[in-house]
Amino acid sequence: MSLMSRSHWTLTALVLAILVSMPLLLPDFWLSGILGRSLIYGIVALSITFLASYGGFISLAQTMLAGIAGYTVAILAPTAIPASQSAVSYWLAMPLAVLAATLAGAVVGLIAIRTRDIYLLMITLALAVGFSLFAQSNIDWFNGYEGIRNVVGPELFGQPFRAHTVFYYVSLTLAALLYLMVLYVVRTPFGLVLQGIRDNPRRVAALGFDVAVHRIAAFAMAGFIAGCGGVLITFYNIGITPGSIGMTATVNVLVMSVIGGLGHPVGAFIGAVIFTLIDTFAATIYDRDRFNTLIGLVFLGIVVASPDGVLGLGKRLAGRGKRKDAGDGGTPH
Amino acid sequence: MLDTTTRKGRTEAAAPTDAATPALVTENVARSFGALKAVSNVSITIAPGERRAILGPNGAGKTTLFNTICGDHPPTAGRILLFGEDITHLQPHRRARLGIGRTYQSSLLFTGLSVLENLYLAVRGAMPGRLSLWKAGHGDPALAKARRLAEQVRVDTIAGARIDSISHGQRRQVEVGMALASDPRLLMLDEPAAGLSAAERPELVKLIRDLPRELTLILIEHDMDVALPNSDKVTVMKDGEVVVESTPDRIADDPLVQAIYLGGEH
Repeated sequence: MSLMSRSHWTLTALVLAILVSMPLLLPDFWLSGILGRSLIYGIVALSITFLASYGGFISLAQTMLAGIAGYTVAILAPTAIPASQSAVSYWLAMPLAVLAATLAGAVVGLIAIRTRDIYLLMITLALAVGFSLFAQSNIDWFNGYEGIRNVVGPELFGQPFRAHTVFYYVSLTLAALLYLMVLYVVRTPFGLVLQGIRDNPRRVAALGFDVAVHRIAAFAMAGFIAGCGGVLITFYNIGITPGSIGMTATVNVLVMSVIGGLGHPVGAFIGAVIFTLIDTFAATIYDRDRFNTLIGLVFLGIVVASPDGVLGLGKRLAGRGKRKDAGDGGTPH
Repeated sequence: MLDTTTRKGRTEAAAPTDAATPALVTENVARSFGALKAVSNVSITIAPGERRAILGPNGAGKTTLFNTICGDHPPTAGRILLFGEDITHLQPHRRARLGIGRTYQSSLLFTGLSVLENLYLAVRGAMPGRLSLWKAGHGDPALAKARRLAEQVRVDTIAGARIDSISHGQRRQVEVGMALASDPRLLMLDEPAAGLSAAERPELVKLIRDLPRELTLILIEHDMDVALPNSDKVTVMKDGEVVVESTPDRIADDPLVQAIYLGGEH
């Protein structure tokens, strides 16, 4: 069985083709403010969905990992304000930032090695809040409450990174690659073992696999994904502050994953689009002081109507018969 | 002076195996859970290629004994030797790599994966390069082996089906296939026929009978009709201890066994 069934591939190709042609159709605000923003936060949400869907781990540390990549690229950025002692080229800063998030992901996996469920949630939440508070109180590296500004990203094809089309296409390419990477990895022996750990960790060990190593590797990979998102988010926001990686940001990304649906990686991006749309327009269609109430109600509505998110709703509407034909969700060849 | 007789050195010296080395030795193995002694003072020696049935009432400590051997619940006292090698303190995955395969009393399969994926994982678990990011291609020997196992345990026709969509009997067959995947030297089956319908039972008994003779087999089974024809020797446990060790043809006449199974005296 291949990565996806033929109909899935067709659908994926169609969606990608539409997304690629978007710059011809959409005004700049929609391009980067809605779609681009959805893609980059969707990447961080993807790291949550990957861990949850295939490993059975709900991690609240993913926004923190994105923040570690964001702060790393900001600290190393040649344009940063305040200017850094350790500035390097963006082309060096970006891979270093993703590497830092990957390693930090492995460390999170190591710390949380024996915990599951609510305890894993609490440990990762504690780490996330701890890191945010640390960034807020540390002046030397993180510039405290103000954070680091003017992290504009490298020039690409002679254009600034934040040019709407450049930013959009880079985000789209990266999101698509990471999405396909997740779909590929979950069909490899590593990915199958991960799903084995989700279903029955004791049995995985009995078969001869080292559960701890696989867990740490999964968290490292999720850190890599979140780190890619974190670098793009930092360029999008032209900098990074402790607030952007705090409790609210952490919960927002979790909300994206949940309303999209934790059952499949695409849910992360669906959730991110819905979240971004509501977050952007709630204030204009509802009382400006209380638009958060509207946001909350919409999310509540989605989760009550479909506990497995928009994705689950779509699957139920599409009917179960068709899925049974596709049948297996994949045998490993 | 250098003391060369380290503990590690002794273990390694014991490693070479020959026909005379027992497949499995448990020396005074005990396992407690708090104040409860689930297994105490169990000493069993099983020869290579032997088929051993372990009988006993519920709560006799049969599954706990399995767990001490495979490492899920390591013994709290005593020693376990696998083909002469001390495995008492090894982790479960290390023991599996040394040649222990087992099934579980209740199916512990990966319900979200297909039959073939379950078997494939079991094959991969016994191979080097377990943490691989290369997807299995058509020429993958592990995948070919998973398919052979599917045929051997007669689930090849449902290889693509997810575990949560197949019957209980089929799951037990997949269980045996997974336990065989590592080419174990010692296979432990924990009530393989439990919960099977009358129609499913002969299929599984035949499957066990057809296992290669060189494989050392330990079988926990309540059903004497399944256990006795498939064993060379029988061990009976009660209250965490071995009470009788005998041959299948004599075990049924043993007064203690009759007492346990027919409820004569307790």
